[in-house]
Amino acid sequence: MYYRRTLTEAQINQQLLGTVLTTPLWWIVLVSLLGIVVAGAVGAVGWMINQGLGVTGLRQPVFWGFFITNFIFWVGISHAGVMISAILRLSQAEWRRPMVRAAETMTVFALMASLAMPLVHAGRPWRIFYWVFPYDWARGIWPDVRSPLVWDPIAITTYLTSSMLFVYTALIPDLAIIRDRSTGWRRSVYGALSLGWHGNPRQWKIQGFAGILLSALILPVFVSVHSIVSWDFSVSLVPSWHVTIFAPYFVIGAVHSGVSAVVTLMIIMRKLYKLENFIWEEHIDALARLLMVVALAWMFLFWLDLVFALWLREEQEITVWMLRMFEPPWSWLFFLFFMFSFVIPVPLWMFRRVRRSFTWMLWTSLLVNFGMFLERFLIIVPALMRKGPQTFTYATYRPSPVEFTIIFGTIALVCFLLLIFSKFFPLIPLWEEKEGQLLIDHVKVGNVYVPALVKEH
Amino acid sequence: MATQTKPQSATDRSTAFKWSMVIDLDRCTGCEACVVACQSENNVPINEESAFIEGRAFEWIRLERYWEGEWPDIKARFIPVLCQHCENAPCEPVCPVYATYHNNEGLNVQVYNRCVGTRYCGANCPYHARQFNFWEPVWPEDLRHQLNPDVTVRTRGVMEKCSMCIQRIRRATRSKTPSDIPDGAFNPACVQACPTSAMTFGNLNNPESKVSKLQNDERRYHMFEHLGTAPTTLYLKQVDTHGA
Amino acid sequence: MAHEEHAIPQVPTHQEIASDIMARFQNVNQRYWSWVSLLALLFVGGIVGFVMRLSDGFDDRSNWGYYTATLSFLASTFLAMPIISAGLRLAKANWRRPLTRLTENMAITGVLIWFMLIPALIALPPTEGRLSVWFDFPHWMAFRGGNLMVWGTVVLIGLFLLWLLAVPDLAAVRDHMPASPRGKLARVLSVGWTGNTRQWRVLHSGALLFGAFYLLLYPTLQTLLQADFQAGLLPGMKDAIAPATALINALQGAVGLTLVVMYVMRRFGGYERYFGIDQFWALSKPLLAFSLLWFYFWWGSFITFWYGRQPGESELIRFMVLDSYRYPLMVSFMLNFIGPLVALVWNPVRRSIWGPTIVGAGVLVGALVNHIRWYVAPFSVPDPPAGEAWPHVLPEIPAGQLPGAADALIVVGGIAGAVLLFMLINKIIPVVSMWEVGEGLRLVKVRRFLARYAMVIAKSH
Repeated sequence: MYYRRTLTEAQINQQLLGTVLTTPLWWIVLVSLLGIVVAGAVGAVGWMINQGLGVTGLRQPVFWGFFITNFIFWVGISHAGVMISAILRLSQAEWRRPMVRAAETMTVFALMASLAMPLVHAGRPWRIFYWVFPYDWARGIWPDVRSPLVWDPIAITTYLTSSMLFVYTALIPDLAIIRDRSTGWRRSVYGALSLGWHGNPRQWKIQGFAGILLSALILPVFVSVHSIVSWDFSVSLVPSWHVTIFAPYFVIGAVHSGVSAVVTLMIIMRKLYKLENFIWEEHIDALARLLMVVALAWMFLFWLDLVFALWLREEQEITVWMLRMFEPPWSWLFFLFFMFSFVIPVPLWMFRRVRRSFTWMLWTSLLVNFGMFLERFLIIVPALMRKGPQTFTYATYRPSPVEFTIIFGTIALVCFLLLIFSKFFPLIPLWEEKEGQLLIDHVKVGNVYVPALVKEH
Repeated sequence: MATQTKPQSATDRSTAFKWSMVIDLDRCTGCEACVVACQSENNVPINEESAFIEGRAFEWIRLERYWEGEWPDIKARFIPVLCQHCENAPCEPVCPVYATYHNNEGLNVQVYNRCVGTRYCGANCPYHARQFNFWEPVWPEDLRHQLNPDVTVRTRGVMEKCSMCIQRIRRATRSKTPSDIPDGAFNPACVQACPTSAMTFGNLNNPESKVSKLQNDERRYHMFEHLGTAPTTLYLKQVDTHGA
Repeated sequence: MAHEEHAIPQVPTHQEIASDIMARFQNVNQRYWSWVSLLALLFVGGIVGFVMRLSDGFDDRSNWGYYTATLSFLASTFLAMPIISAGLRLAKANWRRPLTRLTENMAITGVLIWFMLIPALIALPPTEGRLSVWFDFPHWMAFRGGNLMVWGTVVLIGLFLLWLLAVPDLAAVRDHMPASPRGKLARVLSVGWTGNTRQWRVLHSGALLFGAFYLLLYPTLQTLLQADFQAGLLPGMKDAIAPATALINALQGAVGLTLVVMYVMRRFGGYERYFGIDQFWALSKPLLAFSLLWFYFWWGSFITFWYGRQPGESELIRFMVLDSYRYPLMVSFMLNFIGPLVALVWNPVRRSIWGPTIVGAGVLVGALVNHIRWYVAPFSVPDPPAGEAWPHVLPEIPAGQLPGAADALIVVGGIAGAVLLFMLINKIIPVVSMWEVGEGLRLVKVRRFLARYAMVIAKSH
């Protein structure tokens, strides 16, 4: 039987604020390395804008490739934040506490990375203004609201804004703690950011209420974001895209990859910032259980997608699926995708020992996300290739080095931003931890102590 | 594209004109004269070998070859494919900036200035009729003066496709009433160039025009009819006289 | 276990609970019998309606639309009930304890549902020339054998769970009333339960394992239902989300039914102390979630069809949404989505007895209407002329079909039969689980928390 390690409030402050108040060498090294990669990607974008999209591997008819794959991938990752914080907060799952902030922050940065993708992908990025901002009297024409590409920026910017608010609301009490522990200009910055927080009951009440309210309001946004991304595909006529299941399939797939990303993030964070006292086997275990349910639901929807794709026995649809599943190199990618995001990790997670092993969980969660990237790629590219009996311009797609650079750049960007964030704000909410300590109790059942919880009704 | 002349009134033109093309596959010899004519009329960039290797060749109208039947009972077929100017066009509702829309003469038109290059329309077009300017188009020095002044030279990053030679339509119909325009008075470049008269162009709203009469031909079919895109371009099936 | 915030909560002892439940279980009063006879009468009426339909034969499939709608409604609400307890048990929700048994007892209706499936299967047209998930399987094996097997497995697992989880209580019944016939039955059913550690371990792991099986198999049943009885009969119906929508609708209906049953048992059975505000409040949240998901899934399918604008799709939209089945859709839309949304976003409504109950009853009505839309419509599509393959586009849009007298008898009788079975089983197996509630009591302690008293409930990792 395990006992919760209890920490005093002073210990919590000291251990969690360590990252903010000191700057270790590895941090500087890591940030500079990631910065170089990001700079490389920015350079690649500049080169691409300067030369034209010809530098990518895109060609007719594969008009969408790595950028859109990456866009979906990062929107998917961003679903972690809300899944973890909003849903678990509303359902009062106690084990959410150490991971909420990191997950929410990752949401924000992942959304930023994803937003960059369609902009980069557009043929004339300097005119993107006409797409995203509707207020354009000069041309006398508004964006076409029928287009899912208009819903996309609306949904994603709403999600980004509300996620930032969400992070900020939860950050206020911690900012006040840092304010009280810093001096000079930092004190005034943190002081301004903490909005005069003193921790009186009224402030706590408002802060708690805001958290619950934002959780509830953000949920529909959360579902709509990836649904709208999926409708980019399913409202089209492209064979294998035009399926009704895409919206929930994308959302649940996004949760699958997002929660896996949280697992990865938590394990790396634990190692880097020595958070052994806060992130335990139990937390990863709970995440892995959640992942199992999510993965099964996702597989059910995948299976429905496949069955009903073949339902009408349309030649085009069948050829796309044949291409995806049986023709190399796509069949290899499909095999990897299927193994990585389902067949290998899910049975492994059935074992308690795997769920409670940081090493295993790190690698399986990374596998899932690698597989999910492939999944998005396989949804987009083979369908656009359209190797059908009546389609003539059949072409394959191979991403160019420029595209690879930009993809790696977004990964580096998210890590970079997370590291920068951790320098200024604690990645684990101090007040959540303290609140958690307060609500913990044990009940003696027979001759063992079972951890118990005071539920706020 | 020609400068937009304001029509007398929108309803006027929509009742007056509905442009359509009929392609008789029995007459088509696959000579590709239409492709060359289109290329020079519409300032379509020259496709060098590299363009084909890259898979980024520009052909507003192209000759597609396909096979019918199984070996040894197999036939090589070809068919000119161009924008079908669908009435229920998949490319139109997906464009966020109205760069492609249906005008009041039954044409699916592309406004280059609005296009930001999301390429959604191209992804959604089942006919693969849309081409994207991956590079800034360049012409060899000696062809610079060949460019048609009536047609915009597109820039990098925009979509383009068959416009049914809208510049010719504008020129021919400018300040004229529909009755003043005899059937076949003007034609898009491809129709004009076709040596076997396999292509016919005309006004569907004129019941006396050739295209109107061909609409009821027993060999008629639309490409990918099952998709419900309702193309205005009509094909007349090739009928084999020897063997089945 | 109503929970007062400012008073010191009273935790009853296991003994108290057990003897209370046993007393209610033993008491079979006049009112019970009158309800049972009324339901039996309605059920007989349903059989009459069935015989009327049977005399018309199976050639005209449209006769069997309402019958299939009843079947699917029962399979989607009553048969989905064990999912609630299995899911909540997997999630270790403590408030589930009083209500698990009633959801499991609903599995008994599976017997009726399985037999009802047979005529519906006979009414299906042959496989040749039409679309199905069975591809080239021979007809008898695919539609009939396959469906009967999958449904049978679901029903059997449900019954097994019902029995397995009732064994400790059956042992209690055996010990309490050894002389009565019910006690004798319980002696047989309790298979020598003495409550030793090994037996408990088997019970717990069996419950988890078979609960998980049920959770995995039930979606398959819904998929078959949607594919074979709906999509296969509707030309052009390529709706991958339909089974998921049906699953959501089923879960929504199951939660609604649980709420209604809890209310009835509070009101007429005197079970107030078990079905308290905690249970209603907790169940109202998934009800709201399922209502939102119902709309979300419906919309996901609608928008795809709407944008697709292919001939098959626009005809189907006209048939199922805009024209023939407009009113059923509107009713279902109101009761399954708008109503729950408007009512349940308010915490005071959620946190009441009447609020979730009314919404739950509405959801049930909406689900029935939705099932009528889902299955009467495809059954009214005529077969293509002999020898021709099924088209991919609806040749013409059939008009909406209203129920005849026989249909009404079948709908009412089918539901009455299911409720009847539930009422009967409740007198063989106590409707509140004594051991599960008792187990919960051992995990609870009362503790002072800040200025008040709170109940602390243990939750093992």
